[in-house]
Amino acid sequence: MTMRPAPLCLMIGLMTCLSVPRQAAAAIPPWLRDLFPSTYRPLPREDTLIVHATILDGAGHRIEDGSLLMRDGRIAAIGPHLTDAKAHVIDARGRWVTPGLIDIHSHDGTYVVPITAIDEETSDVSELSDPNAADSWIETAINPQDPAFARALAHGVTTLQVLPGSSPIFGGRSVVLHPIPATTMQAMKMPDAPWGMKMACGENPRSEDAEKGRGPTSREGEIAFIRAAFAKAGRYRQDWKRYLAGQGTQPDDDARLDTLAAALDGMIAVHMHCYRADEMAVMLDLSRALGFRIAAFHHAVEGYKIAPLLARAHVCAAVWSDWWGYKMEALDGIRENAAFIDAAGGCAMMHSDSPFLGQWLNIEAGKAAAAGRRAGLDLPPEHVIGWLTANPARALGLDRRIGSLEPGKDADAVIWSMQPFSVYAHADMVFVDGAVAFDRTDPHRRPRTDFELGRTPPEAP
Amino acid sequence: MTWARRTAAMAILATLGPWSQARADGAPAPVIAIVHALAMPVTTPPVADATIVIAGGHVRSVTAQGPIPPGARRIDAHGQIVTPALFSAATQLGLVEVSGARDTDDRTLSHGPLGPAFDVQYALNGQSNLLPLARADGLAWAMSYPGGTQIAPFAGQGALIHLRPSGDILARAGAAMVALTGDMALATAGGSRAAQWVLLRTALAEARRAPSPRDPASALILSPVDRAALAPVIAGTMPLLIAANRESDIRQAIRLARESAIRVAVLGGAEAWRAAAELAAAHVPVILDPEADLPQTFDSLGARLDNAAMLAKAGVEIAFSVPGNGIYLSYDAGLDLREGAGIAVANGLPYATALRAITAAPAAIWGMRGAGTLTPGAGADLVLWDGDPLEPASNPAMLFIDGHEVSLSTRQRTLRDRYAPTRAGTPPDNATLPPAYR
Repeated sequence: MTMRPAPLCLMIGLMTCLSVPRQAAAAIPPWLRDLFPSTYRPLPREDTLIVHATILDGAGHRIEDGSLLMRDGRIAAIGPHLTDAKAHVIDARGRWVTPGLIDIHSHDGTYVVPITAIDEETSDVSELSDPNAADSWIETAINPQDPAFARALAHGVTTLQVLPGSSPIFGGRSVVLHPIPATTMQAMKMPDAPWGMKMACGENPRSEDAEKGRGPTSREGEIAFIRAAFAKAGRYRQDWKRYLAGQGTQPDDDARLDTLAAALDGMIAVHMHCYRADEMAVMLDLSRALGFRIAAFHHAVEGYKIAPLLARAHVCAAVWSDWWGYKMEALDGIRENAAFIDAAGGCAMMHSDSPFLGQWLNIEAGKAAAAGRRAGLDLPPEHVIGWLTANPARALGLDRRIGSLEPGKDADAVIWSMQPFSVYAHADMVFVDGAVAFDRTDPHRRPRTDFELGRTPPEAP
Repeated sequence: MTWARRTAAMAILATLGPWSQARADGAPAPVIAIVHALAMPVTTPPVADATIVIAGGHVRSVTAQGPIPPGARRIDAHGQIVTPALFSAATQLGLVEVSGARDTDDRTLSHGPLGPAFDVQYALNGQSNLLPLARADGLAWAMSYPGGTQIAPFAGQGALIHLRPSGDILARAGAAMVALTGDMALATAGGSRAAQWVLLRTALAEARRAPSPRDPASALILSPVDRAALAPVIAGTMPLLIAANRESDIRQAIRLARESAIRVAVLGGAEAWRAAAELAAAHVPVILDPEADLPQTFDSLGARLDNAAMLAKAGVEIAFSVPGNGIYLSYDAGLDLREGAGIAVANGLPYATALRAITAAPAAIWGMRGAGTLTPGAGADLVLWDGDPLEPASNPAMLFIDGHEVSLSTRQRTLRDRYAPTRAGTPPDNATLPPAYR
């Protein structure tokens, strides 16, 4: 996979962008501006040494009776017998440690429970006024009080990507969040994480547009629509490049074309909702022809049919273990999907798409791996954990910071009560940037949203 | 009438049903002895190193190191677990193929005059592609229920299905009359929960009265055909399954059970833990989703993962139905029923009770004696597992229905085999031809 540079302003922070002299500011194309910069700060933390754990490091290794040292919010060391005089020591004998899980496909904060009749008429999952909603930024809709965030955290999720829905062809920009308690989206937003752009193919946009009586009503129409949109964005991008090079007048600032231009720039990777193998193959060709990069196919129910093709294209696939059958394009779903994509050398990931499933990603991987093993594949836990950690980190362009327990990376880690792919496993403790964000045994470290407060008892009566 | 007495009465009816001992092709059920099994008969304690003898389509004996009858087929379980085949207390198997394609979906009435008379038995598709997968995951029994009608609050009548490979899956029609309360069918009830209960009670009262063409009140809600459909509910022979999640609706269901001879069961029950003692006292069983812990709607603000554990501790008979975003309910009806039971165990439910909730409990709730247990005389529907059945990573190694070994093959498995990366070069494979030639 080719590494793309992070957007300039994302790397250096928005305040720097805003404070640069006017002339220099004009040298930055409008699609790089972060209008809603992160205010995330790690929770209060102390240096922590976890000892006597079975560690799956996310990079393919399994360490028995292992230790993990987290210092100043980073992984300081990992190995068989570490000591540290100052760190708080947690004896994890009999328990397992993994990197924090990454849910690369969440709608938490926009598909907010409780769902009410109001959601039948309007919803924040997708902007539906146009098949091209590339100008919508899902981060502007995030409700931090969605109880699903706290549930995901309590089940080991430390990072999630909230994507717009699949009804528009261009859903808009995604956002990467930590599911930690906050009163604003900005306080959950992972600093300097690149945006993604959601696109969708197949049945969902087609039926949405047919229902609304506007936009493409066929798969071929969707492709034509995408071509037209990128052609326009390409001209917009050229106009801006010319202007930034000192030629011509300043082009209009168009939020919709901004996102597409950023995709053409390689600054924003596409997260593509597709089910069928043939659709994914068409999208791969289209992405090459038009010059955008697909980071991952999402759902990819038929990914196993083109596993070598996905591997060669360095495109990840975010899949379920066992969802199939509920629509025509999902008929051929098999439980070995992730395992077969993996076996071809591809980048398999489990995803939730649902607040319910967002709590059980570990079981999802367990089910998918078990199916692969029955099909004859060797899938040890230290490899399978990558489907929930290293691989989604890579698809998000964050593999230098999260996804494995390697020195220097963010100290996002989970202590599991037992082998984490078991239905009986609990996330005992969840660390985000080295801080205890969830502790199953400590009521003061089990966040509850404002919504739940005063409604339901936290403990059994 | 108590639930136990009613169940006993129903069991007598059930035994009159066709307990098939022969396959559709007439082959008699063979004599089989499964040896060295960890038998979990559910209704009796586990038996280690058990010999399980099945013959004539029934379980004959489960004994520790018991003898093998002469001429029996011997199957060595190598210490693995054998349980009754699973029973989903509420699913929609056989009623839907592709939920997004409405011409393949017979679950719900959006038009037409039928209310309680809507009876899903006529739509059951024994060749549905969802059934072999459910079987391969260990499921042999289910109550398949309707999704709704335009005659509030009734959804219609569910049917008991027995997942025989022959395709003849109807075990008993009219297994349950389903009523929807709370936010599930507000619109058809006119927009208020209060109307749902008045409509339900009025309909039941109409069904109790003798039909009288001169009495206009008799036709307020029920057509003659709907009135006839409710007669077995009034008589206490057809359970009334009330879908309810909010505590207030659950308490209304308890009230109805206390005031009448109607056999009430609750489906959903997200907040049932708030009325656990009352449910137990009224002998109202609860079919719940052990994976529900989100306040999905205002009716289930109290949803929590220890619901099952609290209900069981209070003495409520519980069974499981796992909707899983509406997908698990039918598309993975066996696998995720087990996953749900496992999650309940992880959250405090005793293992034996969790296993019962997906075997003997639904059999008792639906009055299907001889299902969901391995006691002698029970139907020989059982599973030899390759691990802990409540771990979704485990699978059946062998499945028996009516005493016959049943194929575990599925369409998914044929797709798997066609595209398996491990297959390359395996004779008689020809990797140069497209998959359709494989």
